Amino acid sequence: MTVVVSAEKLTKTFGSHRGIVGVDFKVAEGEIFGFLGPNGAGKSTTIRLLTGLSHATSGAAKVLGLDPIADAVEIHRRVGYLPGELALYPRLTGRQHVEFAAKVRRLQDRIFLAELVERFRVDLERPTRTLSKGNRQKIGILLAVMHRPELVILDEPTSGLDPLMQDEFERLMRELVSTGATVFLSSHELDEVQRVATRVAIIKDGHVVVTDTVEALRRQAPRTIEFAFPRTVDPKPFASIEGVQVVAANGKHITLALRGAVAPVLRVAAELDPLEVVARPADLDELFLTYYRDQSVDESVDAR
Amino acid sequence: MRADIAVIDLRLRRRALLSYVIGMVLYALVIVVLYPQFKDDTSLDQLTKNASGVAALFGATGSLTSPSGWLDANIYENFLPLIMLLITVGYGASCIAGQDEDGTLSLATILPVSRRTVVLQKVGALSLQALLLAIATMLCVLIGRQFDLSFPVTHLAGLSLGVALLGIDFGLCAVAVGSITGSRGTALGVTAALAATSYLVSSLAPVIGWIRPARYASLFYWSVGNQQLANGLSLASVGVLIFVGVLLTLTAVAGFRRLDLR
Repeated sequence: MTVVVSAEKLTKTFGSHRGIVGVDFKVAEGEIFGFLGPNGAGKSTTIRLLTGLSHATSGAAKVLGLDPIADAVEIHRRVGYLPGELALYPRLTGRQHVEFAAKVRRLQDRIFLAELVERFRVDLERPTRTLSKGNRQKIGILLAVMHRPELVILDEPTSGLDPLMQDEFERLMRELVSTGATVFLSSHELDEVQRVATRVAIIKDGHVVVTDTVEALRRQAPRTIEFAFPRTVDPKPFASIEGVQVVAANGKHITLALRGAVAPVLRVAAELDPLEVVARPADLDELFLTYYRDQSVDESVDAR
Repeated sequence: MRADIAVIDLRLRRRALLSYVIGMVLYALVIVVLYPQFKDDTSLDQLTKNASGVAALFGATGSLTSPSGWLDANIYENFLPLIMLLITVGYGASCIAGQDEDGTLSLATILPVSRRTVVLQKVGALSLQALLLAIATMLCVLIGRQFDLSFPVTHLAGLSLGVALLGIDFGLCAVAVGSITGSRGTALGVTAALAATSYLVSSLAPVIGWIRPARYASLFYWSVGNQQLANGLSLASVGVLIFVGVLLTLTAVAGFRRLDLR
């Protein structure tokens, strides 16, 4: 496998504040790599290190086999980047932004650019300060992919886009990959990532907690079972079953995440005369949430 | 080297720059047109007689009714440098640190250009703004030759270069501080303090003996504070102003290379 992006023990601290700590992952050529994490987990910090906008405190990163700082010009030539908090020049139009980037990149072939403008119905004629967030985001997408980069780094790319445009953007990512490009997709939107990504890394509190294929994660993802009881029940007996996590316990309603066999759960539940039971298949969202959240639910359950 | 980053910065500054230049041009025209009414007013010279510290604070020393004294006291030693610094220090603080703070700097830094090129293009944009103001003012002052203001044109050209270099140097100071700290406020504050000190030292040097040796550390002295309109801008002055500019540019490049961007 050709590695397009790699991070080894990548660390960035801001004075006494944590940024990211010992981040490791590899992104293979031609894949859509999802980089998932809640707000503040360190996704944008990692991306700024990969794009050479920021300097690592320690560790190493390689992008297209190049050093993000020493080889920044070459990397920027071959990479497209959509920042998480896109800022445009308020008084300039979208066209002026695109022309600026096209001139610096010495972009000759404008056919793809014209296609993108049409596909995303980008308003290029108004000053960007008068555009909605979604329409500004479309300009950011143009700037990121107009030069057909080998690697596209996207930080929360569909933020502000309506569902139709989100679908169009997903198609665009797949098309880019089909032509040999690699996509590094950072997001906190689980649905979006699991729809398009082949592999994902989950980052939490500055640490990568898991890196795997979406399929493998799906296999180990917990099923969800929800019970409704006629009276308030104690969730402790459920919490003590191996492979069971009490996700929510709200008086008469209990939601469980289940990794093991279902029989022990049903036996405990049967003694409590449940009114309703709803079981959902293996849910990647639930797996991500178990990585995201702390143990507060279990702790609060234990404390009762 | 293409100058796309400089061009876009100039486009962003266009309105503010034009407003400053038009204001300065109108002011300069008023000053030169008024000269015939004041050239024989000996009471004006009383202001600076006996080395008045108050007059010196306003940049007025020597005769106020001579052509060079009139232009120095009303344009070149105070008002023009002030407008010049408003333009260049304002741009210097915003072009790196300010744009980084509002997030737009990454529109340029993510393109295939080195950070050195980004700084150099911004230095180019800064220099153009300073030269535009200096030249526009110079052209207005040249009209003064029709209003009894006689002076060597080469001296006026030298003084105009001096005031442009003064603006460029303090603008570069703001670029350098902004590139090192990433803070527009710090860049503005530090540069404004340095410029004010430099102005005071140059202005008061002729009337306060113990300040006199310090005038060599003042960029105002080298550019506008040594009767350049009467005597011409010396090569030493040009050398000092350019040397400081180069030093500040190198500092800005080094600082910007280390700066973590948003």
